[in-house]
Amino acid sequence: MSTLPFVDSATIEGELQRLWQETAETATGGQAVTRALTLNLIARATDPAMAERISAVVRDLVASHPNRTLLAICRPEDGPPRIDAWVQANCLLSAPGVPQVCGEQISIDAHGAVTAQIASLILALLAPDLPVVLWLPGPAPFDDPLLPRLLGVIDRLIIDSRDLSNPVRDLGRMAAFDRDPGTPSGAARRAALSDLGWAALTPWRELIAQFFDTRPLLPHLRRLDQVDIGYVPVDGRPDPLPGLLVAGWLAACLDWTPLEDAVSIEGAALRLHLRRPAVGVGPRAIRLVTIIITPVTPAADAAPGLATLRLRALDGVAADFQVQRADEQGHILTSAEVAGHPPVRRLTRCVAPSLADLLAAELRLLSRDAMFSAALQTAALFAAQIERLGEAIEP
Amino acid sequence: MNDGVATPLENPLRAGLRLWRTPEPCTVVIFGASGDLTSRKLVPALYNLARERRLPGGFSVVGFARRAWDDATFRQVLLEGVNANSRARPVEEALWASFAEGIFYHRASFDDPAGYARLAARLAAIDATRDTGGNRVFYLATPPEAYPEIIAQLGAHGLNRSPEGGWTRIIIEKPFGRDLESARDLNRQVLAVFDEGQVYRIDHYLGKETVQNLLVFRFANGIFEPIWNRRYVDHVQITVAESLGVEDRGGYYDRAGALRDMIQNHLTQLLTLTAMEPPVAYDADAVRDEKVKVLRAIQPIASEATVRGQYGPGSVSGRPVRGYRDERGVAPDSQTETYVALKLFVENWRWAGVPFYLRSGKALPRRVSEIAVQFRRVPTLLFASTPVNDIEPNVLAIRIQPDEGITLKFSSKVPGQAQIRPVTMDFRYGTSFGVASPEAYERLLLDCMLGDSTLFTRRDEVEASWALLTPILESWAAGPAQAFPNYEAGTWGPAAADAFIARDGRAWRRL
Ligand SMILES: NC(=O)c1ccc[n+]([C@@H]2O[C@H](COP(=O)([O-])OP(=O)(O)OC[C@H]3O[C@@H](n4cnc5c(N)ncnc54)[C@H](OP(=O)(O)O)[C@@H]3O)[C@@H](O)[C@H]2O)c1
Repeated sequence: MSTLPFVDSATIEGELQRLWQETAETATGGQAVTRALTLNLIARATDPAMAERISAVVRDLVASHPNRTLLAICRPEDGPPRIDAWVQANCLLSAPGVPQVCGEQISIDAHGAVTAQIASLILALLAPDLPVVLWLPGPAPFDDPLLPRLLGVIDRLIIDSRDLSNPVRDLGRMAAFDRDPGTPSGAARRAALSDLGWAALTPWRELIAQFFDTRPLLPHLRRLDQVDIGYVPVDGRPDPLPGLLVAGWLAACLDWTPLEDAVSIEGAALRLHLRRPAVGVGPRAIRLVTIIITPVTPAADAAPGLATLRLRALDGVAADFQVQRADEQGHILTSAEVAGHPPVRRLTRCVAPSLADLLAAELRLLSRDAMFSAALQTAALFAAQIERLGEAIEP
Repeated sequence: MNDGVATPLENPLRAGLRLWRTPEPCTVVIFGASGDLTSRKLVPALYNLARERRLPGGFSVVGFARRAWDDATFRQVLLEGVNANSRARPVEEALWASFAEGIFYHRASFDDPAGYARLAARLAAIDATRDTGGNRVFYLATPPEAYPEIIAQLGAHGLNRSPEGGWTRIIIEKPFGRDLESARDLNRQVLAVFDEGQVYRIDHYLGKETVQNLLVFRFANGIFEPIWNRRYVDHVQITVAESLGVEDRGGYYDRAGALRDMIQNHLTQLLTLTAMEPPVAYDADAVRDEKVKVLRAIQPIASEATVRGQYGPGSVSGRPVRGYRDERGVAPDSQTETYVALKLFVENWRWAGVPFYLRSGKALPRRVSEIAVQFRRVPTLLFASTPVNDIEPNVLAIRIQPDEGITLKFSSKVPGQAQIRPVTMDFRYGTSFGVASPEAYERLLLDCMLGDSTLFTRRDEVEASWALLTPILESWAAGPAQAFPNYEAGTWGPAAADAFIARDGRAWRRL
C-alpha cells in the first residue's frame, strides 16, 4: 500500500501497474498471481471506521467476485480541502503452489470542499467494460450526493434497509427508486436496486417455500387466512421493515391485494389486511388474510431481524406452518401441522449471512430481481398507509 | 403419477431468481447400508444437504443390510461416518439429532422375500408418520452381483411402483455390467421391473462441478466453440491418474481392471462431454442424445491402439508400495491391467482425424484428472530469425481434480529478450467462485430426488460404451500373456505407453 503524492487518475493507474508488477515479482516460490476483475464496486464511507468495515467486507468478496473496488471516503465537513489516494491488492490466501487470485482496491479519502470532485475521479478510474455497482451503506443512501453523479454509469445500487434512519418512510423512497431510478436520458443502462436487508430474508423465504414443494400440501397455500411475523427489534426500537417485505412478498406471490384501509396499529402490533382470491367454486364471501407483525421479547443475546414466521389456514381444514429461531447459534425449527397429515418437525441450520455473503448474493444477480420489486412495491404501499395513520408503533 | 418422471410442481413461492428447488419429502432406501460407500459418501452427502436446507422436513433414510444392527447402532455408525468424512465437520449435535430421527435400519438378506414384504410395510409406516407421500429412491450400494436379485424382488413385491401420488426411482452404482452382453442383460432385468424414466445409473464423475462446467465452458463462451474442431485441434489427452493402489478392493479389482473400472465409465464421460455437439436444450434427453452420437461415431479400437500395464513394487509420495500381485485378493499371477492407455478417433465432421488419447492407472505419482486440448502448432516462420524455434502449442487444460479449474497455456515474449516462453493463465473454481463445491454425491442425490437424470447414464449410452470396449477386452483375453508387472509403482506407467504416443510424434503431458 502506498500513498500517492498527486491525485489524478493517470497517477493512480500507474501506481496500480507498479503494484501488480511488485506483487508478481515478490510472489513466493514461483506461485503465480492471477489478477481477476469481474466488476467495479464503488463503495462510499463517511468516516475511517466505516471505511475499515467496508475494506474488510471487500477482502472477503475476492473469493467470489474479484473486483476493482473504488472506496470513496467522503468527509465534506471535515477539515481543509484535501484528497489522498492509495492502492492495494486484495488477495485470497491460498495453499502453497496454487495460484493466488487478487482483486484491487483504490481508496480515495476526500476532505472538505473537494469531496465534490470525487465522482469525476471515480468515473476516470472505472475498469472498462465491466459492470459498475454502487454500494451506499448507512442511514441515508438516497440523499447521497454521489448517487445523482453516478446514476448514468451504474448497473446496480446496493443499500441496506436495516441501516435506514427512518425505515418506514424510506421504504417509499426505495420503491420510488426501483420504479424509476431517475437515470439521465441517453444513459445506456438503468440502475437496478438491491437491498441487503431483503437478501437477508432469503433463507426464511426458502424455508417457507419448502413446505409447499409437496403435492399434498401445495393447495393449502391458497387457503391461508393468517400470517404472524415476529421480529427482534433493533435496540428496542420497533422496525417492522423485514415483516413488511415478507408481507409484500407473500402478497405478490399469492395475488393478495391490500384492502382500502390495509393497516391498523394495535399497541406494538401492526395488522395488515388483504384480500385473497377465493379458491374452489361457488360464490363465497370475500376471503380475507390478516398479517400481524409484532416485536417478540428476545433472549438477551438475540440478533435483530425475523424471529418467527407462521402461516395458517384457520377456516376449514386446519393447517399451520411455522419457521422459528431455535436458538441464537443459527438453528431454525420448522414444523408443518395439517389436519389429516402427521405433524412434521425438523431442525435445520440458518446462520445469519455475513455482510460479504449478502453482498456476494446481490452481485451474482445480473438483472433486476422482479420478485424483490413486487414485494417492495406492496410493502411501500403498507408503509405509506402507516405514515398516513400518523400513529406510532409502541416500542 | 407412478412412472417416476417428474412433472414440475408449480409452487408460486418459488417464483423469482434466488430460491433453489427442494425435492418433495421422500425416503431413500440404501441397499448395502452397512458398507463403505454408505458411511463414507452417501450419508455424509445427505447430511450436508439437510444441513444446507436442501432437503425438506420428513426426509427419511432406510438402510438395508444383513448385519445384526438396530436403528440406534445404525445411527451411531453413520454419525461416526459423517464425522470422519463430511466436508462440514464435526457434526452439529442438535442438527444430527433431528436428521437421525428419520434414519432407520432394516435387517434382511437380499434374497429373502420376507425382508421385502417387511420393507414395504415399513415404508408405508414411514409415509404415515413422516408424510413422505410414497416417494422413494432405492439406492443399490451393493456388490454388483446382487443387483438382479434386488431388482427382481422389488418388482415381485410391487415396490417398483409407489402408492397413489408418489414416485419411485432407483439409483444403480457402478459397475454397470462387465461387458456388452452383461450390461444388456442387466438393462433387460432392470427394465423388466422399472421404466427407463425411473432408472438413474450413477457415475459420480458427472456430479463434479468441473465436469458440468465443461458444457457451460464450451457452449456459453463464444470464443472456444469456433476452434473446437479438427481445423484447430491437434489432439486431445484425457488422463485420470490415481496415486492409490487397489487398497482393500483387490478382490473386486482383480476381476475388473482399469478398462472396466475407469475407462468404461469416467473417461468415457469426459470424452463424450468434450467431443459432443451442442445439445438442442439442456435437458436429460437432449444432452444424452448427443453423448450417444459421439460414442457411435468412434471407430472400432484395435488392440494395437492400446497399452496395458500392471504396477510392481515401488514407492509413491515417499512411501513404499507393494506390487499389485502382492495385494490382498489378487492372484499371484494376475493378468489384470492397472494401467491402460488407448487412442481413438471420433469419425464425424468435427473430429475426423483428431486422435483422442486416454490413459488411466493406479499407483501413479499423483492423483490428477484432466482433459487437455492441444491446439495445432503455429507456423514458426514468422519468428525464424530469432532464437525461437520451438514455440510450444497452445493447450487448454481442464482440471477435474484435485483443484478444479481451467488453464490456458500460450506463448509470450520474455521482456527484453528475443525469447518466447509459455505462460499459463489459470482459472480455478475453488478460488474464483469462493463457495466450496458440493460433493459429487450431493449433487447427484439431489438431482435424482428432483427427477433430473441429465447427469446420469442412459441405457443406450452404457451399452454404446461397452460395445466400444468389449472387443478390446476380448482380444486381450485371446492374446498372449503379458510380461507383468511392467511399471514401478510411483511412475507414470509402462515405458510402452510413452513409446506408443511418441510414435505419433507426440508426448504425454507432464502432470
Ligand atoms: N466404496 C466406494 O468408494 C465405491 C465407489 C464407487 C462405487 N462403489 C460401488 O458401490 C457398491 C457398494 O460398495 P461398498 O464399497 O459400499 O461395498 P461394501 O463395503 O462391500 O458393502 C457391501 C454391502 O452390501 C451388504 N450385503 C452384501 N450382501 C448382502 C446380502 N446378501 N444381503 C444383504 N446385504 C448384503 C453388506 O451388508 P452386510 O455385510 O451387513 O450384510 C454391505 O452393507 C459397489 O457396487 C461398488 O462397486 C463403491
